[in-house]
Amino acid sequence: MRVLVVEDDRDLNRQLVSALTDAGYAVDAAFDGEEGYFLGDTEPYDVVILDTGLPKLDGIRVLEQWRRSDRKMPVIILTARDRWSDKVAGMDAGADDYVAKPFHMQELLARVRAQMRRASGHAKSDIECGPLRLDTKTARVTLNGQPVKLTAHEFRLLAYLLHHNERVVSRTELVEHLYEQDFDRDSNTIEVFIGRLRKKIPPHMIKTVRGLGYRLSQAADET
Amino acid sequence: MKPNSLALRLFVTAAAWVIVVLPVFGWVIFVGIRHEVHAAFDTRIDDFLKQVLNDAEENSEDGPSTPDSMSDGLFFITHSGWYWQLKPLDGKPADTRRSRSLAGDNLPLPSEHGVEPNETEKRWSNLAGPAQQVVRVVETIHQFGVGKAAQRYSVAVAGPLSEVEEKVAGFRTRVIQGLAVAGVALLVATLFQVRFGLYPLSRMEQGLAAIRSGHASKLDGELPSEIRPLQQELNALLKSNQQIVERARTHVGNLAHALKTPLAVLINEARSDASPLARKVIEQADMMTSQINLYLDRARMAARIGVIGRVTEVGPVAESLIRALERLYREKELSYALDCPPGARFQGERADLEEMLGNLLDNASKWARSKVSLVAAAQSSSNGTAGNWLEIWVDDDGPGLTAEQLLEPVTRGRRLDETKPGSGLGHSIVADLAYCYSGRFELTRSDAGGLSARLTLPLAT
Repeated sequence: MRVLVVEDDRDLNRQLVSALTDAGYAVDAAFDGEEGYFLGDTEPYDVVILDTGLPKLDGIRVLEQWRRSDRKMPVIILTARDRWSDKVAGMDAGADDYVAKPFHMQELLARVRAQMRRASGHAKSDIECGPLRLDTKTARVTLNGQPVKLTAHEFRLLAYLLHHNERVVSRTELVEHLYEQDFDRDSNTIEVFIGRLRKKIPPHMIKTVRGLGYRLSQAADET
Repeated sequence: MKPNSLALRLFVTAAAWVIVVLPVFGWVIFVGIRHEVHAAFDTRIDDFLKQVLNDAEENSEDGPSTPDSMSDGLFFITHSGWYWQLKPLDGKPADTRRSRSLAGDNLPLPSEHGVEPNETEKRWSNLAGPAQQVVRVVETIHQFGVGKAAQRYSVAVAGPLSEVEEKVAGFRTRVIQGLAVAGVALLVATLFQVRFGLYPLSRMEQGLAAIRSGHASKLDGELPSEIRPLQQELNALLKSNQQIVERARTHVGNLAHALKTPLAVLINEARSDASPLARKVIEQADMMTSQINLYLDRARMAARIGVIGRVTEVGPVAESLIRALERLYREKELSYALDCPPGARFQGERADLEEMLGNLLDNASKWARSKVSLVAAAQSSSNGTAGNWLEIWVDDDGPGLTAEQLLEPVTRGRRLDETKPGSGLGHSIVADLAYCYSGRFELTRSDAGGLSARLTLPLAT
């Protein structure tokens, strides 16, 4: 799951990136409006955290331009301006949620999770697929109630598949959503991680759909 | 016209002018004409005297002849007021000759009343004549005959003074009538002039009232050149007033932004640490946050004082808030009902109405099970003393509050329920803003069992 953080305050940006990385997301950071707009316009993010008072291009304008060019990813506005007139302006520009500064990181992370779930159509904070269960609050995966030990990359891959379970996910889509922008995108690494995951969960759950990609499914049907 | 008004001043000065000048003018005319009428009368009497003398001079070697050619028939009518008389001064009063109109009476003579002759040797006087008439008499001393036969006579002619006085009285009546009509006409014209002349001022008054009630933002219209500078100054003042307020708000917003980001950094940094210092930092930073919020609100409210009235339609504000909340509470699939008549307009800032309704609707959405409703109504008081109010109810079908909670006053920062996220400032901000507009804010139980927030605000008329 990829997250874009657009925030001009370097300290706050660093804190956000580290908190989101700790929560298991692939995070890109932008420090001004133009950079943020470019990244959001070219990369497929699952959630964007957007500050409104940005140098070069105002956050609200960035959001409006994304929505005009049909970028539909969930956007959480982060701002010190917490009056309702500002909130309405942000929501009208196309924001999905609104967090006022100063905020508590846990609350922001909860909002990010909520937007992820909402985007993939899950109503609860736990996502289940057969014996597998992802607790989005704690970023933990359990198999039949037993915790599954995963590396950060393995977790991201499994979490993405769980969010989109019962759907074929292409290799390109996985690469785009799992790695930061400047990550070396050798698609072979996906196959390596799929192989590792198959050793930690019932191997039949991750099916290879030839020529299309992978599908996480609870049914033990034919390949 | 009001007691202390420009219109009354102008009218009174113009009226005083009319009341003083017209009588003086009338008096001057009247005196002049009366003098002329009297002079003409005297000339006529004098002409008759010359005629009498002329007649009497004919064959006057041994005394005057009896004048018999007096042209005016009035000298033949008894007590007509027109008389002549020739009276010998040296004895033999029986020789006195009189006009027939005297009917044997004696004509009173100025010489008998001690009147001195003027430079033409004539004596003029108004005397009581026969039949209680006041007559104007002219008398001269003339010598008829020559040598021993010469005799001195008092020759007098009289005319009725009443005749000239009637004329003068008639003229006086006409002067008074004419001047009275002119005076009334002038006063009416003055009234019209004052009204017409001061009309732009009353238009300006209406314009200012429109600004006050928020129907206009500046003084419009083509005003006369004398008050156009005033109009321009007023508009400039209004504009600068608005700019000052805007600038104050911008500074407040900038301050918020400038302080809140470092605070967010501090809080987050301290959270990743478990030391006592970090705990202290978090505690103090939280306190700073609430202090900043408190004083930002105060600053916003202070900036509001003295702002010239603005009008905000409730409908569009509620619609945009509901649109935003539908996105924020998408999963709950709440149904929002909005009942807002077109006349429901708030006398105040749009941002303030948004703040109040936003907090109320946000709270309602947070707690509602399925429905949130906003009803607005304009309450015009019948006697007009209580003013006009805008009532807004925001109801939800959530759990509501207990009777004790409803009784507790809404105070800043205290959250009525601590289990849902939020700053806890929502209701107290609403209450503060409502009081700031001398309105009211109450929490009651809604018909659906949830919370009903009732907001009373000034209505824009």
